[in-house]
Parts: sequence; structure tokens; C-alpha cells
Amino acid sequence: MRPEEEDRLLGKIAHLLESGLKTQVEPFPETHIEFAKILDELRALPQEDLRAKLVIGGFTNTPYGPDQMRCLECMYYLVHRKWCDLPELAVPVEPDWWCRLWRI
Amino acid sequence: MANLLWLQGGACSGNTMSFLNAEEPSACDLVTDFGINVLWHPSLGVELGDNLQRLLNDCVSGNTPLDIFVFEGSVVNAPNGTGEWNRFAGKPMKQWVKALSGVATFVVAIGDCATWGGIPATAPNPSESQGLQFLKRNHGGFLGKEFRSKAGLPVINIPGCPAHPDWITQIVVAVATGRGGEIGLDELQRPKTFFQSFTQTGCTRNMHFAYKVSATEFGQRKGCLYYDLGCRGPMTHSPCNRILWNRQSSKTRSGMPCLGCTEPEFPFFDLAPGTVFKTQTVMGIPKDLPTGVDKKGYIALTGAAKNAAPAWAEQDMFIV
Ligand code: SF4
Ligand code: SF4
Ligand code: SF4
Repeated sequence: MRPEEEDRLLGKIAHLLESGLKTQVEPFPETHIEFAKILDELRALPQEDLRAKLVIGGFTNTPYGPDQMRCLECMYYLVHRKWCDLPELAVPVEPDWWCRLWRI
Repeated sequence: MANLLWLQGGACSGNTMSFLNAEEPSACDLVTDFGINVLWHPSLGVELGDNLQRLLNDCVSGNTPLDIFVFEGSVVNAPNGTGEWNRFAGKPMKQWVKALSGVATFVVAIGDCATWGGIPATAPNPSESQGLQFLKRNHGGFLGKEFRSKAGLPVINIPGCPAHPDWITQIVVAVATGRGGEIGLDELQRPKTFFQSFTQTGCTRNMHFAYKVSATEFGQRKGCLYYDLGCRGPMTHSPCNRILWNRQSSKTRSGMPCLGCTEPEFPFFDLAPGTVFKTQTVMGIPKDLPTGVDKKGYIALTGAAKNAAPAWAEQDMFIV
């Protein structure tokens, strides 16, 4: 069983995305330098600023792009916890979501 | 009794060091158990000067039958194709290589420099180095594409930087005991026994590869070295995790990414800044995928692996 707190947080994120939160899906980081830059931006955020995390991470609540990339395939996604294990994000996510830090 | 002669061109002696460290069988076993007569070797040969020249000339003239000619290091052609930068026993080494290859029953290239040209042949290649039959991945080596030794085989390539000791001695034994004709060679003329499987075969990090747990620093016990550190294990043909180094370990077992040293692209293609020990990605997908897997297949495979991942795959396996 996943902790209820994580469920509540997942619900909250889902709600934010459903209500049309504009997130920064572009540009997709092509090199590890660009990737690290986004991580730096995330690290600079106050811990509790969930909304900014979602915006900078570039979250979508649908698969993305011609390859229909999803959290499920992402190397940071933990299936059993429905959890993004990227330390700078560390949030519950659905397998069909995506963010621009996706990597496999 | 098989006569073996070992010479070095543009070499660092790494393969000689490796050879002397062999155990299954050892360099001594070659002599005592397998009847190999080492005519001369740069670290073991006793003849010098005129005596050495006589020994080499006797091989070239056929007075001494040469069964196995082993070459380590690149063929140096500089300056201007003369080979004068690498003189040996009175003339450019490349002239000895040509003459001895012409009379040997088997010709064996040991290490990346002798097989593909190796590090010396990396651009701008000031020593004008070549491998015996290859220059990097192409048939552009010193002896030419059509070269065949007296046994009818092309140069037997045993790559590696250096080649593993037992790859060397086991192939030498196979050749010396009359099984040379049975050695199946791949398209890069490497013995299939050693070079059909990948470095990844037997890697203790395979589970981490399958479930995408990445190591982010050298020496980490947990995690696969492919996703961040550019491990070339899934596309490098070598048995490094089956035939262990020092009978103990391998690069990936000790937390060091495979550099792909048995493939002609070693070291790291063109060595462009930022490409060494770093996994290059395009839209989040590694640029170099495991051999035989395309981008679509890789994504599908990942989805399937993730879907099937057991719960324990998400736990930390190494709790000290
Ligand atoms: S990094 Fe992005 S795509 Fe990957 S699991 Fe986390 S949220 Fe999903
Ligand atoms: S560390 Fe390298 S060889 Fe081992 S599983 Fe990962 S990619 Fe394969
Ligand atoms: S692990 Fe890779 S780099 Fe190391 S010796 Fe084997 S093939 Fe070469």
C-alpha cells in the first residue's frame, strides 16, 4: 500500500495538470549539459514549491511526441510506487504522464 | 613442435605484459606442455645483433620453418611511407613484417594496434600507423585485404587494449596444435570463441541494466554504467565478464565502464571533448543503442521490462 500522503499529492498534481497548468515542455534537453541546467534550476527552488517544480520539469498528463514517450519508460519511474525517482523531482506520477527530463 | 616468432612494431608492450600474465595456459605451459618453440620474443629472446638478424633471415629464407608469426603494435609507415621511424634489426620493421608474413603458416595480430591501428592510428596519425589487415573498421591494413597466410587464413585478429592473456595463449595453442583451421573468424577476423558474445554477457550489473538503475560515479557498487557513464558493454564483443581479468574481475564488475577496446572505434571514436565516459543521448534516448536494437524496439523493451519489474528491483540491493 502506498502511503496516503503520496496518494493525496498525486491527486493534487493531477488536478493542477487537468486544470491547464502551463508547463515548460520545451526545450527538451538534448545534451547532458542542458539536462544538468534544468536540474540546477530545480535545485534552486524552495522545497515546497510544487507548482514551480511541475512547470520547470515540463510535466504533461499525457504521453508526449511522435514516440509517445511516457513516465512508464523513463528510467526514473518506479512502477510499484508510481513515483518519479529523479531526486530533483521526487513526486508521485502516473505511468502515462511525461516530463522533459524523460530519459531511458 | 611449432616455431613461434613474436615481434613488436609501434607498441607499448602492453600485450607482452598481458601474455606473460597468462595462466590458462601460461606462457611456460606453451613451451613445456604444447611443444611451442619460441624462436624469439622482445622480452624473452636471447639473441642480439647479428645472431638475431641471422635468425630472422633463416625464417624468411625457409631454413627455419615459421609456423606462427605474432605481431604486436602497429605497422609504422612514417616518414612518408618509408617506415624509417621504426627500424629493427637493420631495416624498417615493416619490411620484416612483409617478409615474415609471407612465409608464416599463421599470422596472429595481438592488441588493437596490430589489429586496427589502435591509438597510434587515431587522427592525425603522425606515425602513419596501420593494423596488419585493417585500419580501424575497414580493410585498409598493411598486408592488404587479400592477404592469406600459408594456412589459407587471413590475419587472426585478437584485439584488446591489451588483449586478455588467455585469449592470446589459447589461440596460440589452438594454432600450434593443428586446430588453426577450425578457428571461426567473424567479419573483423576475430576468433568467434571469444568475440561472438558481448562484454555485457555475464556482467553482474545486468539486472540494473534491465531495470534501469544507473550508476552515476565510477566504483559505485549498485547500478548499470550504461545510462550515465557511457558503458559500451552492450555493443562490444568481448568475453571480459566470462573470462575474468586476473581471474578475479572485469572493468564493469569493479565499477568502471567498458571502453569498447575490442572494437575498432576504440578509443571513443574521435575523442571529441565531452564524449568520453558520458552517454550521449538524442531526445532522452542513448545515441548508441545495444547492438541489434533500434529506437522503437528499445522504447518497447523498456516499457515491457518496467511493466514486468518485480518489487525487489526497486529496492537497494547493497545494504552495507
Ligand atoms: S523524470 Fe519525468 S518522465 Fe521521468 S519519471 Fe520523472 S516525471 Fe516521469
Ligand atoms: S555495466 Fe555495462 S556491461 Fe554491465 S550491464 Fe551495464 S551496460 Fe551492460
Ligand atoms: S571490459 Fe571493455 S574496455 Fe575493458 S577490456 Fe573488456 S572490452 Fe576492453
